[in-house]
Amino acid sequence: MLDLVQNTVDGIAAGAAYALLAIGFTLIFGVMRRLNIAFGPSIMVGVFLGAWVHAQWSAGLVGAAVATFIGALIASAYIERLSFAAIRGDAALASMASSFALWMQLEQGVALAFPGRTTAFPGLPALPDLETAGLFLRGDDIMILAVAGIVLIALHRLIYHSHFGLEMRALADNPEAARVAQVNTKRVAFLTFCLAATVGAVAGVLIAAADGQISPKFGLWATLKGLIAMMIGGLGSLRGALLGGLVLGVVEAQAQWYLGAAAREIIVYGLLFVCLILLPAGLAGVRDTGAARKL
Amino acid sequence: MDPFLISVLSNIGLFSFLALSAWLLLIGGEISFGQQAYFAFGAYGGGIATAVWGWPFPLALLWGAGLGAGVGALVAWPAARLSGVHYAIATLAFAELTRASLNVFRYQRDVDGYLTGPDGANGFGDIRWVYETGIAPGTYLALIAGLLFAVITAIALASRFNLLAQLRMVGEDPILAGMQGLRVLRWKVGAAAAAGAIAGLGGGLYAHLATYVEPAQFSVMTGVHAVAYGLIGGLGTALGPILGVLIDIGLLESLRALAAYRMIVFGGLVALILILRPRGILDESLVAKVRAWARR
Amino acid sequence: MLKIRDVQTSYGKIAALKGVSLDIEDGGLTSLLGPNGAGKTTLIWTIAGILKAQAGSMKINGEDILGLKAHQIVSKGIVTVPENRLVFPEMSVTDNLIAGAFSRHRDKGGIESDLEDVLTRFPRLRERADQLAGTLSGGEQQMLAVGRALMARPKILLMDEPSTGLAPIIVEEIFEIIGRLRDEGRTIFLVEQNAHMALKYADRFFLLEQGKVTFSGTPGEVDEKEVLERAYLGARKAG
Repeated sequence: MLDLVQNTVDGIAAGAAYALLAIGFTLIFGVMRRLNIAFGPSIMVGVFLGAWVHAQWSAGLVGAAVATFIGALIASAYIERLSFAAIRGDAALASMASSFALWMQLEQGVALAFPGRTTAFPGLPALPDLETAGLFLRGDDIMILAVAGIVLIALHRLIYHSHFGLEMRALADNPEAARVAQVNTKRVAFLTFCLAATVGAVAGVLIAAADGQISPKFGLWATLKGLIAMMIGGLGSLRGALLGGLVLGVVEAQAQWYLGAAAREIIVYGLLFVCLILLPAGLAGVRDTGAARKL
Repeated sequence: MDPFLISVLSNIGLFSFLALSAWLLLIGGEISFGQQAYFAFGAYGGGIATAVWGWPFPLALLWGAGLGAGVGALVAWPAARLSGVHYAIATLAFAELTRASLNVFRYQRDVDGYLTGPDGANGFGDIRWVYETGIAPGTYLALIAGLLFAVITAIALASRFNLLAQLRMVGEDPILAGMQGLRVLRWKVGAAAAAGAIAGLGGGLYAHLATYVEPAQFSVMTGVHAVAYGLIGGLGTALGPILGVLIDIGLLESLRALAAYRMIVFGGLVALILILRPRGILDESLVAKVRAWARR
Repeated sequence: MLKIRDVQTSYGKIAALKGVSLDIEDGGLTSLLGPNGAGKTTLIWTIAGILKAQAGSMKINGEDILGLKAHQIVSKGIVTVPENRLVFPEMSVTDNLIAGAFSRHRDKGGIESDLEDVLTRFPRLRERADQLAGTLSGGEQQMLAVGRALMARPKILLMDEPSTGLAPIIVEEIFEIIGRLRDEGRTIFLVEQNAHMALKYADRFFLLEQGKVTFSGTPGEVDEKEVLERAYLGARKAG
């Protein structure tokens, strides 16, 4: 019983990072109605830039984090310009294929620039571990939860209580109406990409710092986690992305503990498949908007 | 023929099965990131058939294709309600489920004193058929080419009998297609079965050429590549996905000096092509123009 | 010919049709008018078998068709020209027309001659026969959609707001075509927002408001002004 609760606690910390990744995907999909499958790799570029900056100038976590943001932003802007803005409105498939092509570019670019299986990334500041009632909360996990929580609150304020957030929601709801209402759709789309990159960069820094190292496999890994969390929670819903991320984290932790790594994969993918077949609207129960059809 | 060239052409041929499989679903209106699962079923199924059960090779290939078709249809039936991203991720989930399951799938039997069969993550080796028959690489390439040609011919026949056009209608607008009297669910499941069979056939051929397969080979990246080939080469014709494979692997070989930068070059090329031709190089409008010109 | 009684169709918890009853008689144009959101498209989709009615009955010549799937409805001779999804954009004009005849795909000779007839009826389509349908103008796409429906040799044509998004001159052209079809003795069920044009060509009409039929008549007999008002704005509240 204690294991169950401990795993849940551990899982929520990991899930918080997944939730951020899922939110990044959701922001882009919600506003552009297209899937940016190069999202994970763009964050990967960021964390590698962070690692490099740290290696060059001993910049520490803060320096690495700043560099991560910059790297993720540049990579995202690159993808947005080439795969999304440049491709005409109804060609969602082309955008997806193009973002995949850029993923290949980014992954090889990073692998060339950083030969070697892993690269060091500065660790999280050492917070004391917390122990109460036989439950153990690692200092790293506390850090992740705290930072993720702050980001989520800030994001909520931005999306629901700011003018830009209103423009984003308008664009996500009905692009034609938004255009008519004087929303500069191209600018909002671009800025949404940047916002997604920022949120993703936070996730990237947290994960990389918690691990102390990164590898070029990060691109695929982050993409899969983000997509799975987004779909479990419900495509197009930010609440769903959060819920999906947490559920994924907890399920993974439980499965890993009781059944091992191989079984964990089977359970996660099996869960995802069943979820999609039985609950296409996801756990958050968002109605499958017509948006999904356009892809 | 130069053995290296034979090897490259064999690769192109095998990947073409996978690309055609994904393409067929694309024109039926569904993006599948998971055709590699049926490729795996074909590889493992066909490999087990010859190496462990001692079946004749043609039967093993048929078995692999049949497995691909059966599983493909089975997956498509509940998934047919989904569309767009949902369908894509569902197929990805199933493919990863397959891969993760193969990592723990052990089925080994004593064959002529050797323990033969899949051994989970350690892979499945000793698919010895090519050694036992002593078939030359050039001959095997001819076999691959012949079967690929047969598949393309079958698709061309389907086109001749208006079957492909009906699938395209279902793909473009299922509701409108339903209004014309098409049975949308049947088409979706049928297309998935056919696509699964094509992938399974390719998988069987692959396993016997490589003589060793392991779960890691049937990854998400392989699957997304398969879809990308059709999107790049063009959705207008079955030659489109094959063109996509040619461009990727052909580029790899012709840029030997820049081999390290191949993905960077390929990726950039693809992104540019898609800006100009969002439905690929051999897209529907080009094919329509060619058909109109040929009719003259 | 097509009798619809007390049909109820809901989207989840939202009841769109709350008991619709009307008759579509053989020959001539029956029009369904009504303000936006009244449920006109829902009714068409219910008849066409795309949506399933929760209650009521639909009979064509005494035969029950409620609950039949879309392709079965087509085989009964009820063909739909939907709103807003007129053509298969990546297929040529000719292929789009041939697509309309898939329900009778064995009748090769018949399909060839029908294709000729349609292309003769719509010379603009003959000009563009090999072009991709997505490149046609709005009016041409509407014509193509009508032509495609004709290829199915329909007993009843269901048309959903053919005037949508078209310039007034094109709307007149389209309605002229519809009028000619009516004069040839075809049975047409026309759902329209453009009540003025519909009333010009209709033999009889029904008014749908909030999921129910509230009014019916023939254009000659009624006060057109009142009908138009209710069609566009909904019934005026008492007082």
